[in-house]
Amino acid sequence: MSNVSDALLEHTSAGIHTPALLVLEDGTVFHGVSCGASGEVFGEICFNTSLVGYLEIISDPSYAGQIITMTYPQIGNYGVSFQDVQRDTLALRGLVVHDMCAHPSNWRSDCSLPEFLRSHNVVAIEGVDTRALTRHIRDYGAQRAVLSTQELDATVLLARVKESPSIVGENLVKTVSCDHSHTYGINDLPEGHAFAETSQSGNRHSVVVYDCGIKQGILEGLVRAGCDTTVVPWNTPAEEVLSLHPDGVFLSNGPGDPDAVGETSSQVEMLLGKVPLFGICLGHQMLSKACGATIEKLPFGHRGGNQPVMNLRTGRVEITAQNHGFGTVFSSLGSLVPDLCKGYSGHEQDLRFWSRARIAPVVQNDRAGRIQLTHVNLNDGTCEGIACLDVPAFSVQYHPEASPGPTDAHYLFTAFCRLMDGRDDYLDIDIAQDRLAGWKFAAEEEGDVRA
Amino acid sequence: MFVPKREDLQRILVIGSGPIVIGQACEFDYSGTQACKVLAEDGYQVILVNSNPATIMTDPQLAWRTYVEPITPEFVEKVIAKEHPDALLPTLGGQTGLNTAVELAKSGVLDKYGVEMIGCDLPAIERGEDRKLFNEAMDELGLETARSGYAYSVEDAKKLGIEIGYPLVIRPSFTLGGAGGGIAHTEEELVRIVSQGIDLSPANEVLVEESIEGWKEYEMEVMRDRSGNGIIVCSIENFDAMGVHTGDSITVAPAQTLSDIEYQRMRVASLAILEKIGVETGGSNVQFAVNPRDGRLIVIEMNPRVSRSSALASKATGFPIAKAAAKLAVGYTLDEITNDITQATPACFEPSIDYCVVKIPRFAFEKFQGTDDTLTTRMKAVGEVMAIGRTFEESLGKALRSLENGHMGLGADGNHFDEDNFEDLCSRPTQDRIYYLAEALRRGQSVEELCACSGIDPFFMNCIADMVSVQEALRHFRLDQIDADGMRVLKRYGISDVEIAHLTGSSEAAVRAYRKGLGVTPVFKTVDTCAAEFESTTAYHYKTYETGESEIAPKQQKRVMILGAGPNRIGQGIEFDYCCVHASYALHDAGYETIMVNCNPETVSTDYDTSDKLYFEPLTFEDVMDIVDVEHPDGVIVTLGGQTPLKLAHALLEAGVPIMGTQPEAIDLAEDRDRFSSILDEMHITYPRSGMASTFEDACDVADDIGFPLLVRPSYVLGGRGMAIVYDGAQLEKYMTKAAHISPDHPIYLDRFLEKAVECDVDALCDGDQVYIGGVLEHIEMAGIHSGDSACCTPPFAFSEAITAQLRSITRQLALRLGVVGLINVQYAIKDAMIYVIEANPRASRTVPFVSKATGVPLAKCAALIMEGKKISDLGLPPDDRRLDHFSVKEAVMPFGRFPGSDAILGPEMKSTGEVMGVASSFPAAYAKTQLAIDYKFPQSGTVFISVCDRDKRAVVPIARDVVRLGFNLCATEGTARILRASGINVDVVRRVSEPSPNIRDMIAHGDIAFMINIPYGHETRDDGYLLRGAAVRYGVTNESNLAGAQAVVMAMETVRETGLPIVALQDLPQCEV
Repeated sequence: MSNVSDALLEHTSAGIHTPALLVLEDGTVFHGVSCGASGEVFGEICFNTSLVGYLEIISDPSYAGQIITMTYPQIGNYGVSFQDVQRDTLALRGLVVHDMCAHPSNWRSDCSLPEFLRSHNVVAIEGVDTRALTRHIRDYGAQRAVLSTQELDATVLLARVKESPSIVGENLVKTVSCDHSHTYGINDLPEGHAFAETSQSGNRHSVVVYDCGIKQGILEGLVRAGCDTTVVPWNTPAEEVLSLHPDGVFLSNGPGDPDAVGETSSQVEMLLGKVPLFGICLGHQMLSKACGATIEKLPFGHRGGNQPVMNLRTGRVEITAQNHGFGTVFSSLGSLVPDLCKGYSGHEQDLRFWSRARIAPVVQNDRAGRIQLTHVNLNDGTCEGIACLDVPAFSVQYHPEASPGPTDAHYLFTAFCRLMDGRDDYLDIDIAQDRLAGWKFAAEEEGDVRA
Repeated sequence: MFVPKREDLQRILVIGSGPIVIGQACEFDYSGTQACKVLAEDGYQVILVNSNPATIMTDPQLAWRTYVEPITPEFVEKVIAKEHPDALLPTLGGQTGLNTAVELAKSGVLDKYGVEMIGCDLPAIERGEDRKLFNEAMDELGLETARSGYAYSVEDAKKLGIEIGYPLVIRPSFTLGGAGGGIAHTEEELVRIVSQGIDLSPANEVLVEESIEGWKEYEMEVMRDRSGNGIIVCSIENFDAMGVHTGDSITVAPAQTLSDIEYQRMRVASLAILEKIGVETGGSNVQFAVNPRDGRLIVIEMNPRVSRSSALASKATGFPIAKAAAKLAVGYTLDEITNDITQATPACFEPSIDYCVVKIPRFAFEKFQGTDDTLTTRMKAVGEVMAIGRTFEESLGKALRSLENGHMGLGADGNHFDEDNFEDLCSRPTQDRIYYLAEALRRGQSVEELCACSGIDPFFMNCIADMVSVQEALRHFRLDQIDADGMRVLKRYGISDVEIAHLTGSSEAAVRAYRKGLGVTPVFKTVDTCAAEFESTTAYHYKTYETGESEIAPKQQKRVMILGAGPNRIGQGIEFDYCCVHASYALHDAGYETIMVNCNPETVSTDYDTSDKLYFEPLTFEDVMDIVDVEHPDGVIVTLGGQTPLKLAHALLEAGVPIMGTQPEAIDLAEDRDRFSSILDEMHITYPRSGMASTFEDACDVADDIGFPLLVRPSYVLGGRGMAIVYDGAQLEKYMTKAAHISPDHPIYLDRFLEKAVECDVDALCDGDQVYIGGVLEHIEMAGIHSGDSACCTPPFAFSEAITAQLRSITRQLALRLGVVGLINVQYAIKDAMIYVIEANPRASRTVPFVSKATGVPLAKCAALIMEGKKISDLGLPPDDRRLDHFSVKEAVMPFGRFPGSDAILGPEMKSTGEVMGVASSFPAAYAKTQLAIDYKFPQSGTVFISVCDRDKRAVVPIARDVVRLGFNLCATEGTARILRASGINVDVVRRVSEPSPNIRDMIAHGDIAFMINIPYGHETRDDGYLLRGAAVRYGVTNESNLAGAQAVVMAMETVRETGLPIVALQDLPQCEV
């Protein structure tokens, strides 16, 4: 930026910022200005297409090791409400936006996003053509990148990014999991959400939660659905978990390469069949791995709040929140059982074959018995959910807790409780019936004078 | 093989929305066109009813059977009886289509003919539309609505006022665009609004509601399929707080100031509402208010149909809501429909956008003197613009310069402020408030103060403050001091070249050249529904100043660029969009890659499906040239989009842009009065004598020379604005003092006014060698009424062969002499068998779509092909002097009901918003259809009130005699009554409005008057007639304000009684394809 541009910007809410540089490992360079903390960070560049919920995204531990690009160009408009933060320690490496808002407006806002980023020491850049960057990632795949406010020589940064470690094979879970077990229950729910959310009353389930980097929103979802949780570190031995005699065990989301978290999936293998299991995102991959599945890396991942997923058991489509770069290869779970697949016996690479045929195919698995494909991504035909038919376990690749994103899949928390209650039809819930569950609309103290 | 669509249906009836009126504009042509296309593609036979000839959907190729007939239960029943449709799709024709469908369902017509209502059933429509049922449904869901109650009388309303507390919002049930609603701060206001609202409501019911003025307002565009899958296509946040009708608000997509938890709560509520109301399939919109202090969420309303907002949402996201709604109605589910834009992913998703969209309404208050310009819950906008940019600031700047209201942005190019009312104009919502707010910030007022007085969210106010701050900082620079970084900053804050020129004391041309020299040029991005997550194949682009790449596909074939008409306004509406769309179709078929440029989200032209490429951009020199610079078109069409592109023609030509068809020089020749007069003199063509004056004394001299009456108008405005007819020196003086800005630079024109002349339009094609007369249109109203406001008939029903031949001959000569290549419209006045040329417009006229429908010759398509180089003889057109067996009448639709206080009278200034067409075997029958189509019911009996000026007293006698013969009683004011009695006609005398009660106004109010004939003299406004006409508008009594119109109505009534009105499908009339 120049003296002229500084003079033009001097009295705007944005003010004047120092330059920053984003360099990808293939040599692509983006210039911008700093809008967070100063520093130099390395990570895998990815993009998220959500229109709202930047705070929940930034504070999601699954982004450990990553530099996030927000595709919506103006970020920070409604500021930061501390109650919406998904984890107190921010795990992302950096943030890329087109335009950062310095004058947020919302009744719940505690501070502006740039202030929040600085206070959490997150390096961020604005002024980037995030659409061009997104197209680049889409066309050339996820890759390493460096974001710096200190070194502004692109050649130097390119050399550094090429030497930086890749997240493939790296165990990022241990960097975000809790150190000690602790409980999270109904009294821990954020007060700041009380204007909009309520909890399920009635019987409660005790659930042990494997924390691979769990989002606050998932804990809230479990508790609101009727679970009292004990959160344990990612590598807690299965016997220790079973000794707590939980009604169920939950496998959380988490960052990075699932193949690097063998210590969790091996515990899941031991839990399989002994206690009802529910996994989300990395938890889904842990359950898959426990059943011997192969995990693949997606070209550029699913990150956003508009991914269509069909529940093959009901034929209903859910609009889902997603954040993952790896996925389960369904065919690796076993051979199809033609009797349970309307006669089809060959695996299809593109799982949309099943959504079009309205069939929820079943495979025979060596470890867990029959496993059903329950959910398919309608954009690219990848596996979004499985359910074991012979042991009490199911999992989804996407995020029913949303936070941020659409809450169509909220019913899965209810389903988990139904599974713990021993119901076979636990997954067959009408989204429409569940739609308003947990939401609150009317102010209670207000009188009604409707004539 | 599983077939998702319904095979048990073959014929589907689609009801359009009829004429363009305030609150229901061409967005329904856009949605209806999409629906007809997609249903036809799926193999259904579409039967369409729509009275509006200027629509694309009524093109005979688009439906199996097209009925340009009144959208009334009677006529739709006739269509049903004749065509036997299996199903009726009621949700695509706006409130008009929906109301008609409801009436047909309730009266048992649908059951009688076995027609199934698809998309939405009757109970769902009623739950959505009836406020009581709706509020009950919301209550059952646990959602809050504003505290409220129903009133059926003023007394009910007063009681509710005491219970709920003021201010109160009043909404009549079942009215269009909130007509008759308002906000009452006192009991007095309540009584006034409620008494009017009860009258306007078909159910005689108004909702009296707690005011949530000042809250944030949101809209959610929702779609649902028969499997119960629901998606949000788009969220919209209003810039203007609650209290301003959403159609009158500046709106922004996506929602800007909601956190995730608030947004998701609104999302689930929207979907639950659709489910609760029972919208089986299709699109709906749900409106919410949010208390900015505590997040309290209130449901305002929902529309169980495609709406204005859904058109906006479709354009804003690239998701074709109407198309999807039509497919869903015939049985598809969202996951079975492919996303048009990506061609790879399903339509069952929620579009993600990576830009910000701003819509700004366009108003026409200047046309309706005497009306209050405050924006309220009752919509008054006549059009709108939309802009796409990467930030709110950039989009706002673009949208503001798209408005064509004299500003090239937020007002940095100079503005005139009303200093006496400055504070009021910052807080009171008007069309100019945004400029006052910007000026207040410039003058140092704080964001907080302005948010408090206007209710606008601080987010938006801060954005404006930033824009102002950058503009003010720019004042300290000369153009040559700005570097590339600085220029980019200016552009990102939405500042136009014109504004930069103004602030740096330079010129637009210099700024453009300098900016390009710095290398600061825009890039073009794509609207792709998915924020670039997937590749898209659709070329729907917008301009932005970014550092990255453009997404323009390289040129592979000849390219033609068509400049659209910009925002709808009175005088320039859907007719021009129709012409642009036709040109695009024709040139695409002729092997061109067509590029559309327009900024009006309501139109068919801005459907990404219409042209090969769409640029959603302002129609300014800067924005058009930026596109030219990347597209390098082989030709640019400027003569089909009305004045908007025409104004740019010269500058484009000078910049080296190839203009197709008629050259700007020829346009000048026709528009320059002196040059045009000398051509007419040279060709011995008669025209009314005229002169020019810049002082009252000059004007008197001209008047002495030419003689009264005179048609007077300022030279600096277009479209008949400020035009008047003066009959004497006193009226001339009054006009001169009232008309502002008269100076030697801005003189007034004075033309001899041809009293009682018959007016006529001729539309023709010319290829430089040959002329094809498209149609001769005989006006019904006499000279003195703007051609856009008068009814007209083609072929002429009362012209002699000789006159018609002469009109054709003059038109031929003029077209060739002016050098027209494309369309020309010539206006004539015929007085005493003498033909006068009033004006010639070498461009598409407002009547082109009507003439095309009436004759079956697609004039706009022909014009485009001629511009491209074809000859008329190549087009295979039928002989232009063939005799047609049917008469087609066009009638204008007036918006007086929206502008209480303005005079409801036709004159030389155009005021109509839309038009309807009637086709029949005689003129009176066709005219009758137009009257029914604009909702004038022909009374069968009762009392007719007649009051005419002295000039017309003798002429009204035969009309009065006919009225009596038709079985009506007559009443008249003293003077008129005396003449009628003297002529042997029985008549009662009533008191004038200005006389004590009981007078004629009381009779009107009591519904004692079946219709009235009130013919004033000259251009008086605040007289008895004004009050009388106001009362007629208010109580919905048909009023004829001129003799010819009165005569036509009487003739029409008689014909209806004698022969009835059989329906005609366009497909049964001669049609020509080119």
